[in-house]
Amino acid sequence: MSGDDAAGVRALTLRLAEAEATIQALLSDQIDAVVDPRTSTPVLLSNAQAALRESEKGLRKSEEQYRQIVEATSDGIVKIDPAGQVVFANRRFAQMLGYQASELVGSSLFSLMGEVAEGALRRSTQTRSSVKDAVDLEFRHRTGREVAVSVAETLLLNEAGEDVGHLLVVRDVTERKKLQSQLMVSDRMASVGTLASGVAHEINNPLAAIIANLDYISEQRGRLLAADPAVRDFDSLLAEIAEPLEDSAEAARRIRLIVRDLKVFARSPEEEPRGPISVVKVLDSAVRMAWNELRHRARLVKDYQPVPAVDVNEARLVQVFLNLLVNSAQALPEGSAEQNEVCISTRVAGDRVVVEVRDTGGGIHPSILGRIFDPFFTTKAVGVGTGLGLAICQRLVTDMGGELSVRSELGSGSTFRIALPVASRLSSRAPSAPQQLLAVTRRAKVLVIDDEQLMLNAVQRILANEHDVVVTLAARDALAMCARGQTFDLILCDLMMPDMTGMDLYLELVRIAPVLAEHMVFLTGGAFTPKARDFLAATLVEHIEKPFEAGNLRAFVQRYLRTQKGSS
Amino acid sequence: MAKNGDQKAQLVLRLYVAGNAPNSMRAISNAQIVCDAHFASHYDLEIVDLLEHPQRALNDGVIVTPTLIRLLPLPVQKVVGSLSDAERLLLVLASS
Repeated sequence: MSGDDAAGVRALTLRLAEAEATIQALLSDQIDAVVDPRTSTPVLLSNAQAALRESEKGLRKSEEQYRQIVEATSDGIVKIDPAGQVVFANRRFAQMLGYQASELVGSSLFSLMGEVAEGALRRSTQTRSSVKDAVDLEFRHRTGREVAVSVAETLLLNEAGEDVGHLLVVRDVTERKKLQSQLMVSDRMASVGTLASGVAHEINNPLAAIIANLDYISEQRGRLLAADPAVRDFDSLLAEIAEPLEDSAEAARRIRLIVRDLKVFARSPEEEPRGPISVVKVLDSAVRMAWNELRHRARLVKDYQPVPAVDVNEARLVQVFLNLLVNSAQALPEGSAEQNEVCISTRVAGDRVVVEVRDTGGGIHPSILGRIFDPFFTTKAVGVGTGLGLAICQRLVTDMGGELSVRSELGSGSTFRIALPVASRLSSRAPSAPQQLLAVTRRAKVLVIDDEQLMLNAVQRILANEHDVVVTLAARDALAMCARGQTFDLILCDLMMPDMTGMDLYLELVRIAPVLAEHMVFLTGGAFTPKARDFLAATLVEHIEKPFEAGNLRAFVQRYLRTQKGSS
Repeated sequence: MAKNGDQKAQLVLRLYVAGNAPNSMRAISNAQIVCDAHFASHYDLEIVDLLEHPQRALNDGVIVTPTLIRLLPLPVQKVVGSLSDAERLLLVLASS
């Protein structure tokens, strides 16, 4: 064999070994591609193709997953570069601001907010801490309105630790803000209510004395005029007194009405009878009461759709409707009844009965729309409105399990909407039997207990002509009298007193002199405590609400003595 | 993608791959592990993508990837496959 031959054989052996290794590699799937020598084109083998496809598919799939997460989240997600330009925005973020996501990419994020918000966001992005508090700020919607958001921002760093931008998770907090402000309103309502009922209670006692005394003075004046000829000489003088006296009485009556309204805030809705009543009937009765206010100002349009009965207190519902009707009327100018309209409608919406009172007045300015249900908020002249009407309406409707809301547009009028729950049960309480009114009197022995000297004086003046009146400031003294064997036909007793309350006295009397306990009637002013309410409900002891007028107290005592006589 | 352009390199290698196909990726990683372990910095490893440079492959007589060519020291040697058998790879690279 020549040297050439040997080299040729070695080369051939090498080629064969290579070919064999290639075949082995092919068989064990270790080859990705072959080159087609005729076309010089590489051809990927199927396993490599499949693998590439898989990896591409995997990449697409994981991209898809991230995309779904980013797009499905209820938060806005934005990526900005270090200069603040939007690199990416998800659909939710774009939606919040009224844009398409593609419109936002490339624009400056700071151009979508006011200066204050920009400052807050810049401060946050300049902090390099990894844990940052969310920032509350406002973006500007395409339409110009502000969108309240909470922004959680994270600094994005590349592998080299360089700032490559920021990722922002943006949450729309408009709803939360709205709820917060509603909560603040109801908080304010609650505190005003507590304050008001406290004030009402404190005012009630002196007021009761004023009213009773004014009544007494008027009566006495009348008697003097009728009886004593000498007094008639002072007729003109007395006439002069009469007017301020009547004015005082009128003013006192107005205070009484305001105090009564205030007490609504402290009242528990459970203490009033409710029953299935017809909304239409109540509406019509409110319309009759408001007719004088309405007829000069607007045409009344009724749009009654048949509705089921609602389960509420009738008197309270009348109060609500009346208030809304009078408000509507007062929103309209007097004397152009033909041009204006007050429309009342009823309809069913889901499981609610909806009543709407709509007027074609000037509407309510948006800046005060949020405050119209606040106690003491009024746009009327001093002395015309107390600012309690709508606050009371809202409280009453809420107590009924319903909702009172308002829509208003400047220039085209306001609509008040009351949604009430449909009655689900029959009336729980029968109406009370009409009370007898008889004027036959016998002289009786009356004990009056009240920790307010003014009150004692007034009651004594009112009753002293017809009855023997004994008064005391302390329940303990009254108890001592009874314990000594004194008897009374009637014991008028304040319910809430320091030291010994009317309730304590009653319980003691039940023990030592049960007959006297039966003769007790409570004088109640202001709000009841829950304990007092339960007590009255459990014992069925009668009570008279302060303030009362002289005539009413006398009539009550006469009626009481008659029924007592009849029953014993 | 030359590695360690050491002038005193005694081992010069060229690895043909097909993109980031799985056997190719394995071959790159296996070659680097063996070379780093046994030749420290005294080697050059050029990686050539067949999909980009098919003609270079043909010029080198390479018709499949991955293929590792030992250009120096002579004689030229070729190893085909994913180079997962480190022992065999070392034998070829160190042979004279």
